[in-house]
Amino acid sequence: MSKDKDLDDLFKRKIGDPVDEPAYNEADWDALEQMLDKGKKRRGVIYRLPIYGSVAALLLLVLGYWAFRQKDTGTTHPIKQQAIANQQPVHSGINSTATKSSSNGSVTTPGPAAIAKDIHHRKPGGLNNQPGFAAPVVAGHPITSQDNLAVENGAIVRENEPLSSAAPQTVFGAQRLEAPELAIVKLKGPAAITAAGTRKGFTASRQQPAYRPQFALNAIAAPDFNGVGSFAQAKVGTNEGLLVNGGISRRFFISTGVIYSSKPYLEGFESYHSTYQFPVNPVNVTADCRMLDIPVNLNYLVYKKSVNSFSVGTGLSSYIMLHESYKFNYAAGGYYQTGPAQYTVPGTDSYYFGVLNLNATYQRQLNSKFGLSVQPYVKLPLTNIGYSQVKLQTTGVALGLTWNLNSSSKP
Amino acid sequence: MGEEALHQLIRGCIKQDRKCQKMLYKAFYGFAMGICLRYAGNREEASEVMNQGFFKVFTHIEKYDTTRPFKAWLGKIMMNVSIDYYRANLKMAYTEDLDSAEHVSNGDLVDKNLNYEDLLKMVQRLPQAYRTVFNLFAIEGYSHEEIGEMLHISPGTSKSNLHKARQKLKQWVMEADAPAKTNTRYNDGMNYNPVVAINTVDINGLFLNKGIRE
Repeated sequence: MSKDKDLDDLFKRKIGDPVDEPAYNEADWDALEQMLDKGKKRRGVIYRLPIYGSVAALLLLVLGYWAFRQKDTGTTHPIKQQAIANQQPVHSGINSTATKSSSNGSVTTPGPAAIAKDIHHRKPGGLNNQPGFAAPVVAGHPITSQDNLAVENGAIVRENEPLSSAAPQTVFGAQRLEAPELAIVKLKGPAAITAAGTRKGFTASRQQPAYRPQFALNAIAAPDFNGVGSFAQAKVGTNEGLLVNGGISRRFFISTGVIYSSKPYLEGFESYHSTYQFPVNPVNVTADCRMLDIPVNLNYLVYKKSVNSFSVGTGLSSYIMLHESYKFNYAAGGYYQTGPAQYTVPGTDSYYFGVLNLNATYQRQLNSKFGLSVQPYVKLPLTNIGYSQVKLQTTGVALGLTWNLNSSSKP
Repeated sequence: MGEEALHQLIRGCIKQDRKCQKMLYKAFYGFAMGICLRYAGNREEASEVMNQGFFKVFTHIEKYDTTRPFKAWLGKIMMNVSIDYYRANLKMAYTEDLDSAEHVSNGDLVDKNLNYEDLLKMVQRLPQAYRTVFNLFAIEGYSHEEIGEMLHISPGTSKSNLHKARQKLKQWVMEADAPAKTNTRYNDGMNYNPVVAINTVDINGLFLNKGIRE
């Protein structure tokens, strides 16, 4: 046995701690650097995306709230702009009274508070000063600024200067409380005319009519990256589908539809959950999943100016699996496939509302009927997806062609 | 490398400073490669395994206990990565064992012409299972029980693998150590001498016959 010891010692001496170490090879460092870069970049993307997303969402909420507030306070500026026949889509509450008039075909009186507010901004005698309008007549008397001022002015008059407050208000208050109904009745004719007249002055504006639901069809195609846990070994998948966008208010619209989605991805074996006992554990698993993605998203229109618009949205997606198969990759060298090579899942499964969607859309209208859109998106899993029960996440960019269905009603 | 310089490098690596990482890599390249070379079958395999080891080092460097010697920590990681690689390739681990060297004479191990390269090549020729056990027992100094735990084999298997490894290595050492005798392994006696001459030069240059003669 001492010979064995000698042998051991021989090798231990010579190769256990070599006097002359192997020569450095720069190519080895390059290979390692690639490994380090890959690890850092993918992790960075994953950490940064949610942060950017939430910051963007917060900013947009703030902006949206601010934009809404501008509308409600009803400053004089929108009124001035009305005179200039411009394309500004967002107008104050005065606009809304005009829309109410036009849609009903008759004058509706805003509540006393609104009227009082409008009076603040009107100049006396303004109505008769306006070009192009015959002074409306009530029971033979021309309407003065003090009469039902707010009703007409809200819909019609282009005032330039704010009203001095006291007298008309009290006049209105004292004399006109019951007048509004009379005003409505008597002014129906001329008010309607002027209301109609002003409509001509309005230019194409999204909010100008009373809000009617707008519908659009959106055909999309999207390449995306799919990964499990991180995007370190993401694979590229494809999606094609048809969505319907339905507006529910000026700023919000819902989109839903069907997208045929092909998602290949690579997962380490530790993420692969199944009850099957592998004789030898594979190193990783390549998955090939094809499914129908049914999203239901709520989108908020952040910004719209002439042909460009930008919106953000979130919602939930359901995946209905059409085909799932997994290929098992054994360790390097793999001359032996000691276990199953691949497995195709029989039947189909569905994962309802299991995926959270986050997206931002930029859309450009080509004409009244068609538009193009670019939509980067992220899909994050809320439940485990697929036969192997993984957290499959996706990010990509969808390109779309939009067809407005009720473009005829757009002014 | 001095203690302080090393710790500075390590601090840089914790901050993921690429320059520091490269300097640390170059400083311990030889040591790490030396370990991986004796577990792997060839240089390419060893490079790959070593890089995996360094990747672990750089991603877990904040866990390194600065009161312990860094070289030992690094060496342990390299060994573990090598063992992982072996276990991932288990099916192939015995396939190269085509011939069995059962009865090798226990002559003197006169190894005067055997340098690092020769012996390393012999170890790399071993089937991976024997090679790993031989490394762990003869060079690292683990017991068969410990080896059994690390490789998920029984101590009996470890002993058997070690024995087979020793048999083969002995045979090859004997064969390589008989240059002057009529050696049918070499085609042409004339060609052999120049090789010896070169070898001698190498040995003198590198080893100065250090430790070759007892």
